[in-house]
Amino acid sequence: MKLFLSVFVSVVLGTTFAFIFWVVVSHEYQWEAIAPYWKNFVSGWGMTLAISAGALVLSIVAGVVLTMGQLSPHRIPRWLSRAFVELIRGTPLLTQILIGYYLIADSIGWDSRFGVGLVILSCFSGAYLTEIFRGGVESIPRSQWISARAIGFTEAQTYRFVIIPQAIRRVLPASAGQFANLIKDSSLLFVISVHEFTMQAREANANTYATFEAYLPLVLGYFLLTFPISLWSRHLEKRFAYEH
Amino acid sequence: MSIETVQLTRVYGSTRAVDGVDLSLSDELRVLALIGPSGGGKSTFLRLIGGLEPPTSGSVRIDGEELPVSEEGLLAFRKKNGFLFQSFNLFPHMDARENIVLPLVEVHSWERAEATRRAEEVAERFGLVEHLGKLPHQLSGGQQQRIALARAMAHEPELLLLDEPTSALDPEMKAEVLDLIGDLCQEGQRIVLSTHEMGFAREASDHIGFLSDGRLIESGPASSLFDAPETEQVRGFLNKVMKW
Ligand SMILES: Nc1ncnc2c1ncn2[C@@H]1O[C@H](COP(=O)(O)OP(=O)(O)OP(=O)(O)O)[C@@H](O)[C@H]1O
Ligand SMILES: [Mg+2]
Repeated sequence: MKLFLSVFVSVVLGTTFAFIFWVVVSHEYQWEAIAPYWKNFVSGWGMTLAISAGALVLSIVAGVVLTMGQLSPHRIPRWLSRAFVELIRGTPLLTQILIGYYLIADSIGWDSRFGVGLVILSCFSGAYLTEIFRGGVESIPRSQWISARAIGFTEAQTYRFVIIPQAIRRVLPASAGQFANLIKDSSLLFVISVHEFTMQAREANANTYATFEAYLPLVLGYFLLTFPISLWSRHLEKRFAYEH
Repeated sequence: MSIETVQLTRVYGSTRAVDGVDLSLSDELRVLALIGPSGGGKSTFLRLIGGLEPPTSGSVRIDGEELPVSEEGLLAFRKKNGFLFQSFNLFPHMDARENIVLPLVEVHSWERAEATRRAEEVAERFGLVEHLGKLPHQLSGGQQQRIALARAMAHEPELLLLDEPTSALDPEMKAEVLDLIGDLCQEGQRIVLSTHEMGFAREASDHIGFLSDGRLIESGPASSLFDAPETEQVRGFLNKVMKW
């Protein structure tokens, strides 16, 4: 049965991959049409890399702060951070970007598309990370808390030595998934004309009508960003492993 | 050590886990054993006198000193004690050595080298030297519990609290752990423990308390309580558990 399943999965996925690859490769492309735009693609990719890397770091900060709010013994920070997370998770990123840039940033006279985009993306991703982090902390058994308490650890020491090291292992896979989402979500920043990767493809397409040729580089470009994260997460999972 | 409780009570929801316990034990006391039916309140009583949670009402005095109420006071009080739980409660992400060393370094402010030496000394005595580098899941139940005991007594606690230290172990491992606890009793370590091992309770302890439904039904020197129980309930319990 196990062998049958392995063969079955291999055959289905293998033929699917082969078919897709063949269809994509056998298409007749007019690469000349978009060739003049290659510099735009490179700068767009660089922009996506920069904004994603920045937002990755900032979203972890946001996630940690919001998680601390949610786990706080006091009602007000708990309530505020809950409200923030629900609001962000329950509304489209597109509208958040529009409101964030044209209303909020504008009202305080901040006019950096890159800066505003970075902050909004970080908040958005941070809200999702909060749910992941909180779940991770809450999945640590109560007995670990009691045991740390009995030893004489303060609450801060308990988090530092007992809860966080165990929680990290548990939140890594889901966090890596969220980081990949973050990279892809950055493409929505085109609405405030941040010249990132997808926007460049969009413009190349508008000027040349070479649709496939304009958008296909995105496949490779985004994969080059998301795959290392996947590898890095696997590596960290092994480093933090303590069971089995 | 002297232990005195006055109308000690702990309520969870509608359960009176410990219900108006008055106990007064004099200075000569070394080892106090708590026995009684499951759910009788032994673990709760231990947590109360160990300062792990506050009583709902009533008070505890140990060596003439009232148990503190403030969190800082309780923290300082807990540092002086050692606690061992039924379910081992080692930190799964640290090896056995680190489980013993970390509290010495972080809670008791020892030098790391000194703490490591102490861990090795205790491990030597408990027959655990070759297991110090292993993670908890790589150890047998008996080995885990001996490491947990080593962790609980490495800082030479004034009072060692043991909550059913052997009830999760098979008979052979039980014997290993009981031997060690018996030795500690012999050396004059002050211990309060809860146990279902009647033979051990009788051998090792000076005083026995019988808790049922949160009430202290009977308390007295080990020999008199076992040989001539005053109440029908204790007699019935002993007959039942000593039958096999
Ligand atoms: N944290 C808690 N929340 C709610 N109820 C609790 C809690 N801890 C204990 N209780 C209840 O209090 C009562 C006494 O429990 P306790 O664990 O002290 O008994 P015990 O004598 O140690 O039993 P056992 O021999 O099975 O370990 C039980 O009815 C239990 O369900
Ligand atoms: Mg118990």
